[in-house]
Amino acid sequence: MSRVRLLEYESKQIFHKFRLPLANSILIETLETIDEKLMQFSFPAIIKSQIAIGGRKKAGLIKVSKTREDAKQLCIDFFQREVEGFHVQAILIESLVDIKQEYYASIALDASSRQFYAIASAEGGIDIEEVAKSDPEKIIKLGFNLDRGLSDILCTKIIKFLNLPEEQQENAINFFHTLWDIAYNTEATLVEVNPLVLSANQGLLALDGKMILDEDADFRQPDTKRLQEKKLSELEKIAKDEGFSFVELSGDVGILANGAGLTLALLDVLTDLDLKPANFLDVGGGASKQRVYAALELLFKMKPKGVLINIYGGITRCDIVAEAIIEALRNSKGLPPIVIRLTGTNEKEGVELLKQAGIDAYENVLEAVNKLKDSLEGK
Amino acid sequence: MYISENSKVVVQGITGAQGSFHTKLMKEYGTKIVAGVTPKKGGQVLNGIPVFDTIQEAKDATGCDTSIVFVPARFTYVAVREAIKAQIHMTCIITENVPVFDMLRLVELANKEDVHLIGPNCPGILIPDKIKLGIMPDDMCHYGDVAIISKSGTLSYEITKAIGNAGIGVSAYIGIGGDSIRGTTMVEAAQYYNEDPKTKVIVLIGEIGGSEEEETAAFLKSFGKKPVVGYIAGKSAPKGKRMGHAGAIISGDVGTAEGKIKAFKDAGVHIAETPWDVPHIILKIREEL
Repeated sequence: MSRVRLLEYESKQIFHKFRLPLANSILIETLETIDEKLMQFSFPAIIKSQIAIGGRKKAGLIKVSKTREDAKQLCIDFFQREVEGFHVQAILIESLVDIKQEYYASIALDASSRQFYAIASAEGGIDIEEVAKSDPEKIIKLGFNLDRGLSDILCTKIIKFLNLPEEQQENAINFFHTLWDIAYNTEATLVEVNPLVLSANQGLLALDGKMILDEDADFRQPDTKRLQEKKLSELEKIAKDEGFSFVELSGDVGILANGAGLTLALLDVLTDLDLKPANFLDVGGGASKQRVYAALELLFKMKPKGVLINIYGGITRCDIVAEAIIEALRNSKGLPPIVIRLTGTNEKEGVELLKQAGIDAYENVLEAVNKLKDSLEGK
Repeated sequence: MYISENSKVVVQGITGAQGSFHTKLMKEYGTKIVAGVTPKKGGQVLNGIPVFDTIQEAKDATGCDTSIVFVPARFTYVAVREAIKAQIHMTCIITENVPVFDMLRLVELANKEDVHLIGPNCPGILIPDKIKLGIMPDDMCHYGDVAIISKSGTLSYEITKAIGNAGIGVSAYIGIGGDSIRGTTMVEAAQYYNEDPKTKVIVLIGEIGGSEEEETAAFLKSFGKKPVVGYIAGKSAPKGKRMGHAGAIISGDVGTAEGKIKAFKDAGVHIAETPWDVPHIILKIREEL
């Protein structure tokens, strides 16, 4: 399974579709049309960078602009910012809201109880997981099942807990129903509004938003699929298109393995031996020749100083992996030391193919790891 | 878990590439595969196994009571629902990328109908020398008294093979799969083998993300009756990077390798520092027993 976190503006595009009340806003996706866009908006306003990191305010990526000129300068600055390897993808400009009270509201799937929870607090803008630990009495958390959904009774309990003014109670009930509608219809595992605010003259508004979607449901969620593709680095995009999972790390030893757990364990073993992994690459179950070939190609592109291939075939077939390795090695030049460990389903056939091509393979992973360490140390 | 050498197995998606390939391997292992199901392909005979359009037809004709599912993710919901409705006692879902909402509905339905699911995205169950209901390599180990419960596939092959190479026998190998919503949780599998008279030692193989190892530790702390060995993958994984199966939100101590190891230790679980330490620890425990 894979989850995709949406940025604030992407979440709000979905919120808007479901008529969840939002502050007035414009979205700047490129500097080319910025003057035109800013002319349509009145200032002061709040300028919010859209970037996949937490704590945007602290990082100086959310600021108030008093004038249009000031806003333009901020946008130009923001688009050049890079934090923890992430770039600002867009800028959301919103009208300032006269806030009377802030709240927290979310719908979240709890995997261990296999239930959804409606979660709320009369304190907004908080780190909900922190507060859940330090002051659990400040949070209400009500569980319900997917197909029974969020009932009126549960909504009423939440509203009572939040102690909202009388005239806002019906709106608030609708707000929570809409949150559930969004989660249910987009197959989200999290829909969070933090803060949800009570404004002086616009009633309740979702001031910030976050969603987590289930990528495995993309095939029946055409609207949300589009949103998920923008967030990946170039190498990660290749990995996604070819169907394996890949994360870039800071070291210099390239790794290709099958299975997330085995790949993680391999990273631990290498780290213990003072070898620094350049990446996490799990080719996935039942990998085709093309997928393994593409994964090797991507790995070689990173110019690692050594490569470890570790395959324990279950649904993955060693002979198919061997064919891909042979072809990738044949088609690449200037390769670093490569150590291969191949065992499991169709091992005999796979090892034989490699042997015919003049390539050694290990059956034992520790031997393979030690061999790689030796060749990197010039032994 | 809920299967034995007498289980009569039906393969859903038997005519696909994975389905037919692994049916052959399971059959060679000695698993009683009595039927296959692929809609609109009923009437064929594959490898001597009759193929039916529906599970109900397969059940009526062959008395199958256990299913293994290889159908593509988008059709998995319908296939598994059919198996549950036909009162198939245990359904093992090999398919990966099954939508979360589909699994929520299937698990609820299975509970209501009082039948069992394992998976999705899992290697299945192996009772060495008796039955293989899955895709794991079958030369890893022989029969014995150690139950292995794992969230990961290939990592557990590695550890199971090391256990087998050390001459230790295995009462059951259970690959529960790495998705967040699954038919059998680590706690449920641990509960089962805590009671299983044939199992003397339990091995738990976990990884970063989610909170199941912590929940299993809490169960073992109060109710554990047997020695348990635990290994957690992902100690070197940088925080905030999504690696592994569920890509769970690592928050506080829940989800990190340190948090899981601490929870295991608190529950008296013997911690293996590397996958290959597991057999050594089992041998030591045995000496003490």
